[in-house]
Parts: sequence; C-alpha cells; structure tokens
Amino acid sequence: MKPAPPYPRWAPWFFTAPFLVLFGVFTLWPLAQSLVLALQQTFGPKRTVFVGLGNFEFLLRDPLFWHAMRNTAFYALGAVAIQLPVALGLALLLNRPKLRGRACFRLIFFAPSLVGLVFVGVIFTLLFQKRTGLINAGLHALWRGWDPEFAWLDQHVMPALIVASVWLYAGFNMIYFLAALQNVNRELLDAASIDGADPWARFRHIVMPEIRPVAGFVVLLSVIGSFQLFELPWVLLNNSAGPGDRGLTVVMYLYQTGFLTGDLGYASAIGWVLGLLLTGVAFVQARLARAEVP
Amino acid sequence: MRRRTLTLLPLYAALVFFAALTLVPFAWMLAAAFKSREDFFSSFFLPRGDGLLGIAWGRLTLVNFQRLFAEFPIGRAMLNSLFLASVTSAFATLACAMGGYGLAKFAFRGRGAITALVLGALVVPTSLLIAPSYQLLWQLGLLDSYAGLILPALAPAFGVFLFRQTMLNAVPRELLEAARIDGAGELRIFFTIVLPLARPTIGAFLLIVFLGSWNNFIGPQTVLQEPGAFPLSVAINNLRGIYATDYGLIMAGTLLSIAPVMCLFLLLQREFVAGLTAGAVKG
Amino acid sequence: MPSQRPLDFLPTGAWIVLALAVLSSAACLAWPVRARPGRQFWLFSPPNEQHYRAAIARWNAAQPDPAAHANLTLIHFQALERRLVAAFTVDAPVADLVETESLMMARAFGAPLADIGFVDLTDRLSAEGLFDRINAPSFSIWTTRGRTFSLPHDVHPCLLAYRADLVEAAGIDVSTIETWDDFRRVLGPLVRDLDGDGRPDRYLLNFWETNRDLVTVLLRQAGAQFFDADRRLELDTARNAHVLASLVSWIAGPGRFCVDAPEFTAGGDAMRLDGTVLCSILPDWQAGTWKNYLPGLGGKVKLMPLPAWEPGGRRTSVWGGTSLGITKAAPDFERSWALAKDLYLSPQVAESLFRATNIVSPVKDLWTLPFYHEPDPYFSGQKVGALYIAQAPHVPERRSSPHAALVMDRMVTVLSALKARANAERRFDAPALLPEARRLLALAQRELSTRIDRNLLAGSAP
Repeated sequence: MKPAPPYPRWAPWFFTAPFLVLFGVFTLWPLAQSLVLALQQTFGPKRTVFVGLGNFEFLLRDPLFWHAMRNTAFYALGAVAIQLPVALGLALLLNRPKLRGRACFRLIFFAPSLVGLVFVGVIFTLLFQKRTGLINAGLHALWRGWDPEFAWLDQHVMPALIVASVWLYAGFNMIYFLAALQNVNRELLDAASIDGADPWARFRHIVMPEIRPVAGFVVLLSVIGSFQLFELPWVLLNNSAGPGDRGLTVVMYLYQTGFLTGDLGYASAIGWVLGLLLTGVAFVQARLARAEVP
Repeated sequence: MRRRTLTLLPLYAALVFFAALTLVPFAWMLAAAFKSREDFFSSFFLPRGDGLLGIAWGRLTLVNFQRLFAEFPIGRAMLNSLFLASVTSAFATLACAMGGYGLAKFAFRGRGAITALVLGALVVPTSLLIAPSYQLLWQLGLLDSYAGLILPALAPAFGVFLFRQTMLNAVPRELLEAARIDGAGELRIFFTIVLPLARPTIGAFLLIVFLGSWNNFIGPQTVLQEPGAFPLSVAINNLRGIYATDYGLIMAGTLLSIAPVMCLFLLLQREFVAGLTAGAVKG
Repeated sequence: MPSQRPLDFLPTGAWIVLALAVLSSAACLAWPVRARPGRQFWLFSPPNEQHYRAAIARWNAAQPDPAAHANLTLIHFQALERRLVAAFTVDAPVADLVETESLMMARAFGAPLADIGFVDLTDRLSAEGLFDRINAPSFSIWTTRGRTFSLPHDVHPCLLAYRADLVEAAGIDVSTIETWDDFRRVLGPLVRDLDGDGRPDRYLLNFWETNRDLVTVLLRQAGAQFFDADRRLELDTARNAHVLASLVSWIAGPGRFCVDAPEFTAGGDAMRLDGTVLCSILPDWQAGTWKNYLPGLGGKVKLMPLPAWEPGGRRTSVWGGTSLGITKAAPDFERSWALAKDLYLSPQVAESLFRATNIVSPVKDLWTLPFYHEPDPYFSGQKVGALYIAQAPHVPERRSSPHAALVMDRMVTVLSALKARANAERRFDAPALLPEARRLLALAQRELSTRIDRNLLAGSAP
C-alpha cells in the first residue's frame, strides 16, 4: 500500500487549476482549431473547403516555402554561430572579479532588449542605408575596400538581420552565460593556473564543460526563437518580404498567406510544419544533452 | 598587484568599445527626439553649428514632446500601458508560480501528460494561433475589453516551464514535509516557504512579461476598439504614417516608453540575472 | 523555516509592480474609457484623421441624436488589415465607415460579390450622377466584376519633378522632352563625373530594380493591368516585355542614368538635396511629403508631365490610392452614405487636405476652386494643383486583385534577372533583351498561376 500523501487531495488541483484553465482555453483550444484549419483551404471571408492533406502536399513542392525555409535556416545558423559567441565573450569579459561598473555594463548590454521593435525597425533601416548609413560609412572608414554602396536591405537581408540580432539579443544571452560562469568552480580554475595552464586551456577544459548545460539551453532557445523570426524583417523591410523575397522567413510567409492572401488553411499548415520541425530540434537537443551526462 | 590592474586595461577598452557600439542607436534616438523636422536629415546625430564642439545646441527643441502631449492622449496611453503591463505580469507570475509548483512538487494522475503538453507548447509558433485566438475572443465576448488582452497572456508555457524548473531545483521536499508536519496549511507553505525560494525566478519572469506586454502593439489594436484604451506602444506605432514618417515624434515617444521599463529593470536586475538561469543551470 | 522578514518573499521590484497594478487599476476604474456613443469610422492615415476632425465635428453638431454621431478612430495599417479580415470572416465588430487602401480593398475583393463585406455602391453612384462628377479612371481599382464598392479619395497622378536650378543652368529646355528616349537624350549630358573618381556623381532619375513601387508605376504608365477582365493573370505581354527590357539599360550598362535614392530614407534625401539625383517620379502625395520634410529643395524644383513610352503616349501614371467604404454591418446606410459624401465632396475638406498634403480630390467640380491654382513657391511658382489636375483624366486604370502584391514582387524579380542576364552578356539594348524578357514573364505567369489556382476557391468566385 502506498503511504497517503502528506498533503490534502485538493492541493495539487488547487495550484494547477488557474494555469490549466487559462492554458487550456487560450492555448490548447486555438491550437486544436488551427489543426482543423490546416486541413482546409480558405479564401476570402467565410469560404472553406476540406482538402485533407492537400495543403501539406503543396507545401512540399512550394518553392516559396523552401525559399523561406532556407532564409530562416541561414539566419538561425548565423544567429547561433555569431551571436552566442559574442554573448559568451561579453560574459567572459564581465566575469572578472576585479571589474568595476559591472552593473552599469550589464545594463548597457541588456538595454536593446528593452526597446520595442518599432524603434529597432526605424533605427536599423537608417543604419543599413547605402552610402550614408552608419554601418556602411563606418566599415568603409575602417577598411577602404568596403563598398559603401553595399546593399544590405536589398541584397543581403539575412546577414543584415543577423547583425541586428546581435545588437538585440547578445546582451540577453550574455546574462545566461554570466550566471553560468559565476557557477564555475573557482578552486578548479585557480588550481589549474597554478599548475601552469594558459587561459585558453583553462577555458577549454574547465569552463566549457561546466557551462555546457546552460550553453545547450541557450542554443535551443536561440534556435527556436530564430526560426520564428518575423517581426524584425517585417518592420525593417517596411511590411514586405523585400526585393526578390530575400527577407522572406517561414513565419512571414505564414502571415502573408493567412492574412494578406486570405488562405488561413495553408497558413496553419505552414505553422504546423514549423512546429513539428522545432519539436524535432528540441528532441535532438534533449538527446544530445542526455548523452553528455555520464 | 599593479600587473593585474594593467591587464584589466585592455579589458575595459574592449568593454567600452562594445558598449559604445551598443549605445549608438540610443544616442541617435536621444538626438532625434530633440531635433526639429528641418534638421532631421542634415546630420546623423546632433545638428552641426557654431556652438560648443561644433554642435548647434540652440537648435535643439522640445517641440516633439510638446506635440506628443498636445496632439495625442499620451498621458492616458501611458496609464493604459502601466495598467495592462502590471496587471498582466502580476497575475501571470502568480498563475505560473502556482502551476509550476503544482507540477513540480505534487504527484497526481495526469501530471506527466500535462507536463508534456506544456513542454510541447514551447515550440508552437505564436503566429499559428492568431486567427483562432481572435475567433475565440469574439465567441467569449472578450473583444474590446482589457480582459481580452490580459487573460490569454496569463498562462504562457514558458512561464510554467521556468517555474517548474525552479521549484524542482530550489525547493527541497524535506522542507515542505517538515512544514506540513508542523501543521502549516498548504497556502501558508506556498507563500512563506516556496515563494521566497523562488524569488529570482519571480523577478525574472515578472520583468519578461511586463516587457512583453509593454511593447506589444499589434495585439491591443486588434482586440481593443476604443482608441482611448490604446496603450503607449500603439500610440507610438500610429505615428508611423504609411506615406511619411515623423521620426522626431516617434523617437520622443520611444524615449518616453523606455524610461519606465528601464527603471523596472534597474530594480529587478539582480533577481533577473539569477532568475533566468535558475531554469537553465540545472537544465 | 519561514522567512524572517515578512515582505521578503517577493523582490522589491515585484512589490512595485503590484503597487502599480493596484494603483493603475484604481485609476482606470475611476476614469473609465467611455465607449463613445455613435457610429465608428476607422482610418489608417494620420493626416486624414486630423483633417476630418473639423468636418466630423460639424456633422455631429448637426445630428440631433447622439447615437448618430461619428467617431474617428485611427488604427495602424497592419491592425486595420487584421480587423477587416476578422470582421469579414467571423462577423467580429466592424465600423460603419472604413477608409481603406488599395491593397486592403483588393483582398476584400477575393470573395464572391455577395460576400464582399462592403456595400455595393454602383447603383447609388449611378443614380446620383457621381460617376460623372468623379474622375472616371479613379474608380477602377475600387471596382470588381463591374460593381464599385467604395468612394475614391484621390487620383494620385504622377509627374516628373526635376532640379530646375541645375537643369536650366545647363541651358536645357525640358519642354522638348516628350518620351523617355527624349529624356535620356536631352538630359544625358548632365550625367557627369564631378570629382574625378571614375564614377558619375550626377544621375538623371531615382529608379532601381528593387524599387517595387516605381517598377509598378512605370509598367502601369505603359498600360499594364496584370489581370485581364476575367481576373486571370496576364503578365506575358509584348508591352510588359518591352518596358522591362528597356528599363534594364536605365540601371545597367554604359548608358545607365538612374541611381537608387529610395524615398523616405536619409540617404535618398541627401542625394536629392545635393543634386546627385536630378529627377524623381512624383505623385501628388509625395510632393506634399517633400514640402513637409525636404524644405531644402524649396524653390529649386519644378514639375513636368512624365515622359511617355512612345510619342503621343500617356504622360502620367498612378501610385497608391485610398477610398471610403461603407460596411454591410452598418445599421443606417443612408446616414453613413450622407456622411461619406459630406466628407468627400466637401470643398473645405478638399482644401484642408490639399494644403497639408498636396493631395488632389477626384471630384471634378472641385477642380476649378482657387486653392488648386495658387502658385507654389516650393515648386518655383508653378501652379502645382493645376498641373496634377491636368493629368488626372489620363491616369491609367487598374484592375484589382488580392494577388496584386504577389505580382508586383515578381516583376521586381523578373527585372533583376533581366539585369543579371544583360550584365553577363554585356548587351543592354532593349531589342536584345526582349526574348529573355518574354521567357521570364511566361515563366512568372506559369508559376504564379499554379500558386493562385491551387486554391480551389480563389478562381471560382463569381
């Protein structure tokens, strides 16, 4: 016989009830509706027709969807490969014990997360201008070989977005890394430096293994967030996908299909495919993380 | 001793360099908020002239702020923003803290399934839910009310996930059992033992939800019908015309919008840093 | 062990947020937002909202019943789109009057006639003689399958703005320019390398293949409709191919005379101010933008009709459009209709709009009013209103379709591909590029048709 639990029977239900009700009504129910929608085609107001898996079949052959997927994957890769090392680097810089003004620097690096996307869109459109934009002008001043007419927002939208995302999110991720670094065992580090290990070796063999769980978590969050990229390019490209759809991302394609063309069914299918993809990513990451722990 | 201080110098240099890069857009925003329309495109930051440091200090103006308050109901918009953001973050924190606690520290039938659902919901793209959510709000009669904005935001999967992780890691079962043996009621245990242990996560989550609600501008405009109820984010976004944009006005508005959240961040800084990682460090 | 300090279980910031929540809730309860009695009127354009205020106030003052008052609500473009989609799909609340932009209305036109959420105004317009009073081509984009669903707000003809100070100083007389070929020939010598770095520092026209709006404007000037009378896609035409092939030599190759000076950007404006770009295609609303945001050009620019694509051809085009629709959900159509006419046919509103934004009304009887014929110092004393009005009857007609945005994006892609091909083969003249242009257009037509037709409901709306 199992021993009776020490708490009254109503306790777990009491605590989970508010969240369960709200979650069920406002997340699960619309999610179920969207699955129904994904099996339909809609066009214009009030017209729907059941097409079964037709939307998904078209999706597999749809060149625009794959174009959007390539763009988004490129952005996710770039964001993780560039933004996270920057965040880690900033955290390492800030982690020195004798550093003064740490709170001040922390605020400065985190500040970009506090502003709304309208501001980000406005300022970065200006920064990325050809010739007069600060980014082109600055790079040209530093290195004469840089073409001041480099068309960030016409040709190289995804790299431009990666740059913007570094400004926006590096500070946020830096905070994760900072706390992780602060948990690293100082004695191990001191022992290693007494033994004559140089900073790089200390980093590789002591710091990195200790922050691996946090790094994995941050990578997962970044990947999931990056694949949902929509508002930033939308605002930057002035409510469009840019010339030649170079700024098209999966969620932007979802929005255009659902709310601009009017086919909410196909849009829901896109959303479900994205959700399944991200679930797969999370799964893989969880497996890798579990494999690390001996 | 001196050598260690010297090695800190390149460190400071690097930090100052990156901080300067990060601050460029803010510097631009500050300059833009105080420039008049004619000067706007003549220079990137402050208008050039004959004053100190080659800047025409006399050309700086408060006209953008004056226009904001005179032509738009900015004061009311700010109140609406404060209301929406504070109420949403307060109740969301409560709901998620309770939910996380329930999932972490109690065993009951269905717990596994619910936890799996929450984890799965983490990867759902929010744009997928826009159309069905709107329809649901209409069916529930919640359109054109603050409730229609607040209620859907009270139980994000991310919040429950975060609190569940925290409770799993930071709240030892022995402490709870000891309190129960002492005869403490469940509510009392929650408020006097569990919450203090979850302080960092509370601070972090509160700030995240506050920020999300504060900067959200599409949601309020679709749900709320009366312009008097629009929050600050909507008011500022509406300054962006389709054919032309008054940058000075928008930047002045953005400045007004950032000030409160920056203060909140300063207050919650320590908890925020500790709280974000509570879920991440132990994975 | 319970916490020692009673208030310790929450961080300080959390207590502050709680206090804020309580205080702001009290404030909101004490000063609730009162639902304004009366009917809703949704707009997305801030200047329009300002200009209608006085007229609406007059209207409301003349209404004995407060429930008949009209309330202006300014909503951001994107949110208005969403509200309309929701309103027409799930019968969510919608205003009585909605000022819509051309792309928004096109979307509403995707439905069968009976399901379009706006009231069919055709018979009313005809009965009251408004089809004769209002500029005919301006109805085209608000009309589908022969039925008109809203009242046009504007004409938006396009003229060519040029730096009179620089052009006249070079001794050039622009009245000799009739076609784009003339334009290139007569003004060509002005493309010059001023600072000796091997690259020209002065270009004739602001245009680039990435400028979706300008590509569309030029195609429309030549008569492109993109959809035929049955609303089927019509891209692969000789005319479209000719225009696109010609445009390549504008932006690439040795005879290139255009530069990318995008509108509303600091870089583009700097180029306009310092004379790097001499001419711009300017619709009436953009002339207003220049007057408000580019005072540095005052007194230096003049307007002339657009050079045509062939002798005797159309000397204007059209860019953008707004209109006022009455939704089927409006309980009192007659009153909404009266208000719509009051606003759109009113000389006072037309004058206030023109003075602030330079937008010309589509109502022909207003065209003789004096304020349209005043000399404008910004444009060197020209009578700007009159110049735009002169071109108003010639603006091209446009066929409305929810797939318009898709098509315009594709035109940009085709032009880019054409330019790349020209650069690869070092041949920039239009006849050489014509076959490739037709091939690309045919491909575009096939691919877009597949996409549009896969939706079982899209093509079949009667």
